[in-house]
Amino acid sequence: MFKKVMIANRGEIAVRIIKACQEMGIKTVAIYSEVDSHSPHVEIADESVNLGDPTPSESYLNIAKIIESARSVSAEAIHPGYGFLAENPDFAKACNDSGIKFIGPTPEIIRLMGDKIEAKKTIASAKVPVIPGYHGIKQDLSTLIKEGKKIGFPLLVKATAGGGGKGMRVVNAETELEQAIESAKREAKSAFGNDSVFLEQYIDKPRHIEIQILADEYGHVIHLFERECSIQRRHQKIIEETPSPFVTPKLREAMGKAAVAAAEAVGYTNAGTIEFMVDGKHNFYFMEMNTRLQVEHPITEATTGVDLVKWQLRIASGMELTIKQKSLFQRGHALECRIYAEDPSNGFLPSVGTLEKVEIPIGPNIRNDTGIETNYHVSPYYDPMLAKLTVNSENREESINKMIWALSHYVVLGVTTNISFLKKVLEHPEFKKGNITTQFINDYFKDWLITKEGLPLDAIIALAVYDSLHPQRQEIVRYKEADPHSPWQHVGRWRMGL
Amino acid sequence: MSIFINYEHDTHVYNVTVERRDTKFFITYNNNEYTVNAIEVKPGQLSIQLGDRVIKSVISQGEDSKFVFIDGNIYKVKRIELTGRKKTEKKEGDLNSPISGTVVTIKVKQGHQVKKDDVILVIEAMKMEYLIRAPYNGEVKKVYFKEKDQIEIGQLTAEIEKEEE
Repeated sequence: MFKKVMIANRGEIAVRIIKACQEMGIKTVAIYSEVDSHSPHVEIADESVNLGDPTPSESYLNIAKIIESARSVSAEAIHPGYGFLAENPDFAKACNDSGIKFIGPTPEIIRLMGDKIEAKKTIASAKVPVIPGYHGIKQDLSTLIKEGKKIGFPLLVKATAGGGGKGMRVVNAETELEQAIESAKREAKSAFGNDSVFLEQYIDKPRHIEIQILADEYGHVIHLFERECSIQRRHQKIIEETPSPFVTPKLREAMGKAAVAAAEAVGYTNAGTIEFMVDGKHNFYFMEMNTRLQVEHPITEATTGVDLVKWQLRIASGMELTIKQKSLFQRGHALECRIYAEDPSNGFLPSVGTLEKVEIPIGPNIRNDTGIETNYHVSPYYDPMLAKLTVNSENREESINKMIWALSHYVVLGVTTNISFLKKVLEHPEFKKGNITTQFINDYFKDWLITKEGLPLDAIIALAVYDSLHPQRQEIVRYKEADPHSPWQHVGRWRMGL
Repeated sequence: MSIFINYEHDTHVYNVTVERRDTKFFITYNNNEYTVNAIEVKPGQLSIQLGDRVIKSVISQGEDSKFVFIDGNIYKVKRIELTGRKKTEKKEGDLNSPISGTVVTIKVKQGHQVKKDDVILVIEAMKMEYLIRAPYNGEVKKVYFKEKDQIEIGQLTAEIEKEEE
């Protein structure tokens, strides 16, 4: 096993990986940019390296700086987390070239799976179903428009190097096509440095269901069942659960087998996720493979009892996967909510500021993955996800109730968050019934306003009590003027400085 | 002593009077009086007894507004002076930037005729794009930014003279 591992990430995922390493007796090194110097991931790591400039390209995305830092502290391996460099083949290669083990698959597999077109071709050859579309190399506007018209509408324009909904557009009519392609290309260029896009038939109201896999370096591949990730806004997941209320034992087995076949077809190693789109008739189509740890991995851990990060470390250090497929089963139900600094009643725009108060809910089977604390400053440099809240219970209904309780006791003051919104989604009758698709938010919460009902009486009472306990200087002066009989009328100004 | 407070939340203003005697508070709002017993358990954390129920709330004081956590919901509230307060009038359309970021593309030039919903410019923030669209048909009078400029939340991006109907 490694003696020292560098975590090339920030926020909750860096914290989660550092803790796993520390439990295993591995020394940890955090990296950080100037604005993160007092962040939790830096505080809990055994060592840390300052990368300076907070611009991602100068810090968490700077391959040369990170490799140099890893060498300077003699880290044997680098865990990339998710996002940033996690799916960058050049980074994986640079690690290997420097004699540092990259905790993830090989650069060749990352490159192959990062190229959505090649990935689909390869996966299709393993007899896994894929969606019809244009995945050609010709990227000029007129070709794309021509191919788009051929596929028909609605249509999806997606960055070849994409992920997380960036560089992605749904086109409902021919008139929107040109603008959508241009805009997706620009967004892809700036987010991934590659403006190549593909077009695909858009399946109306599909579910997004993915399969977690683990593969060691000796050819053993297992799957750890599904995660239902249909609840999304702006094509980014916000609520995930397992087991999926839609997946039957038969479908689960078929998808699990397909995922293992896909991983075996490319000689995959370490943890990975195969994302499928599932239509209302239980047909599933390969969408993409994420060659890294997923944000929503805690729900799989909660229901299978497997620690995915620890297995990533073991596999990378050359250990054999000792978990057998037949010994795995799903126990109970788990649910995860992503807590974002964003305003759901204003197009989910990110909000920045200082967290004046953070109090997280604690209780049986409630897991908090956070990278925030009171006085933490949410900066505009990075993704606005603040934390993840995961609960597990005997069944789905109990998980939902537990999550509603936990969200109701989740205090984050200082920035606008999506907490109330998440609660409303969980309380929705269609969600409770399990009738969820990737269009759920659009269907039921399109013009949702956080404050439709105004300030409740309890809030007004609480505010009045608070302000009465914390009076302001001018209030006393004002009161003095208002009431000639006040005792304050008879004291001098020097008494006013409370 | 009693104090008079106006809370602004969303577009509404709430007028409240509160008088404190030790741990007892007499609150008047909307012609009703509420007598409560309250203590501040921890800084900002209140436990308020109203009749037979307890209101639990956490309040934080930001730079210009307060955040009130109550029953799992959070409300951003501002204290305001009613005198001299500017009436918040709803302007038609919005050419203000919804976010701080970088201007990546400008689609129009001064003097251009634009139609409602035409893209005026594109702002990128946190690797996402936000489109500023024309709120109405009209003529572009001025574009306040050029490509690669930094833009702050709320800044006016452009001026468009509304076409006469």
